[in-house]
Amino acid sequence: MRKMKVKKLLSLVLALVILLTTGGRVAAADELPYDTYNYDYREYIHYTPAAYIPEKTIRGLDLSFNGEPIGAFKTPQDMCLAPDGTIYIADTGNNRIVVLDNAMKNVRHIITTFKNGEKDDTFKSPYGVAVSEKGWVYIADQKNKRVVVLDETDTLMQIIDNPQSESLADNFIFNPMKVVVDYADRVYVIAQNMFEGVMVFESNGQFSNFFGTIEVSISLWEKFWRRIATKEERSNQRLYIPTEFTGIDIDPEGFVYASNIDANGIQGVRRLNPRGEDVIKKGQNENVGGDLVTGGNGDYAGPSQFTDVVYRDKGIYSCLDRKRGRIFTYDHEGNLLYIFGGLGTQEGTFTLPVAVEDIGGRITVLDATKGEILCFVETEYGRLINEAVGLRYDGDEADAVALWQRVLELDENNELANTGIGKAYLTAGDYEKAMYYLELGMAREYYSIAYKRYRNAILSENVGYVLTGVLVLLAGGLTVKMIRKKRRKGAVE
Amino acid sequence: MGKSFSKDKWSYMFYTIAHPMDGYYWIRHRDRGSVPLAIFMVFLFSCSFTANRLLAGFVVNDIDPRGVDSLYELMGVLAFYLLICVSNWSVTCLMNGEGRMKDIAIAVGYGTVPMTVTFILATVLSQFLADDEQAFYGLLIGVGVAYGVIMILMGIMQVHNYTLGKTLTTLFITVLAAFILIFLVLLLSNLLGMVWNFFRSIYTELIFRI
Repeated sequence: MRKMKVKKLLSLVLALVILLTTGGRVAAADELPYDTYNYDYREYIHYTPAAYIPEKTIRGLDLSFNGEPIGAFKTPQDMCLAPDGTIYIADTGNNRIVVLDNAMKNVRHIITTFKNGEKDDTFKSPYGVAVSEKGWVYIADQKNKRVVVLDETDTLMQIIDNPQSESLADNFIFNPMKVVVDYADRVYVIAQNMFEGVMVFESNGQFSNFFGTIEVSISLWEKFWRRIATKEERSNQRLYIPTEFTGIDIDPEGFVYASNIDANGIQGVRRLNPRGEDVIKKGQNENVGGDLVTGGNGDYAGPSQFTDVVYRDKGIYSCLDRKRGRIFTYDHEGNLLYIFGGLGTQEGTFTLPVAVEDIGGRITVLDATKGEILCFVETEYGRLINEAVGLRYDGDEADAVALWQRVLELDENNELANTGIGKAYLTAGDYEKAMYYLELGMAREYYSIAYKRYRNAILSENVGYVLTGVLVLLAGGLTVKMIRKKRRKGAVE
Repeated sequence: MGKSFSKDKWSYMFYTIAHPMDGYYWIRHRDRGSVPLAIFMVFLFSCSFTANRLLAGFVVNDIDPRGVDSLYELMGVLAFYLLICVSNWSVTCLMNGEGRMKDIAIAVGYGTVPMTVTFILATVLSQFLADDEQAFYGLLIGVGVAYGVIMILMGIMQVHNYTLGKTLTTLFITVLAAFILIFLVLLLSNLLGMVWNFFRSIYTELIFRI
């Protein structure tokens, strides 16, 4: 009797413990203010563990410089990581550039004025900011219609304004929005209403050429309708003008990543080689445009609108979608690695995200309306994927197997992980296992290679049996035929 | 098995597949064919079609298995079969065709056999194919479909005692007739729905008032 009681008590306590521990874990997962999911080969949504979770939020009000509070950010529009690890923020509404240290706790410096010749000069809506390898700061001073170049000591080095070229219209007004500098100090500027592409300036400030023009695509059907439309009708139709670029970044090799808003949601980001040609890889779904499922009604529906892009490391880049406040991360092959982020008013969500940057492994997003910088820190899931993709980028796929296996423990349906493991088995020569994983990863091409080798192995192992079998069959067939012939002859006789 | 599935009917079906011109002639004039057998062949065709979509090897098969419904496809194939037979019969009736409804049904039904066979063969073959050998799979299916189409063409030609040109013309008109039939069926179902709604609303009115 007493034993029973003890048992009952014990089980009750155990149940309570289990309830408390697991209940706590579930609650932790629920705390995320956004969905994390991915698309599989058939473009179905499947929910994944979070790759990045909100870590902290940095507000202008919490910061001070030389003992004085710097005040809230006012519609900040751009953010840039300098080579020395400091972070430059274009505080557009306050007409200043704020420089934070790498931990984003202290203000290193604030740029409000600079010496232009004899007199002091200021900014008017500085919209974009970039820092070159030399440490010079490039500021897209939008309302002043110029790009200001300062060195580390805020000394004016150059002003890029009023570009002159035959390819520019006479009434062209230079309205720089975003700016980026490459290793040779060439300046790439996205200007407002400039549909011909990114404007490239030589290091001496001379306008050189347009870069990465987005081609307009008109379908045959639309051409047909335009052909039969009258002049009045045609003037009422929407114009076929290409979209503008929205955000820009540059990788160490000098390839420019530029985001744009694609009304079809197919390609929201371009990777431009030094000749201005798009060399991006779109992956198996032929898409680098954010969400694949965009149905529904209202403002929340429709294709993703990429407003900024950041090149991170090992061919990985992240794009910021302002439509639904999500961050889409792709690898160099165009595979969608993970999705996180969302719109809202909760901590860790955005109202109007405008810029994204990778600061020491953290993904940080600048929110213009809230005037905040949101930091996201990678989880185990995110770290595993980043590392495994990095290893593949370097060509060490075999080393990535353990990482991918752990990813599969966290997310059973991860096609990239399955493909990664399958490819490693393929190289190792274990074709049966390779086939199993490659089929799960829907990697048809590699599956086929594995299958071919598997088939050859089986054939060469059993070549003796196969040949004997064929011989036996042939001989059997011949004898049967002969016997039949004889019988028939016998019957006729 | 009854008379329709007798050994003679089966063997004559295979004879027809090997010798379509001859075979279809005697089907028309000596009743050597069997309508239930033809319908059974259409049923088998539908099964092989679905099986091919579901079971073909991973290398050649890009179909989402969640989008395949064998019952739905069977209904579709049977409806299409009925549509073709009815529209062909209604066209050839007016164009001096000698074939009866049952001859058309047999001509089309037997014509599906090569496709059924090649679909099954291709499905089995696809299990042993790699990426660069997909052409064999495509070729096999292509040959099967081509043979089936030729058989149906010859069948229609023979049972109606047409020339080739006239057969092609009637087939073209058959397609148009099929569209008209679909239109009429949709119209009919729509009108029937309206009538049904009318009586239903009377019923609900009565229910509310009583």
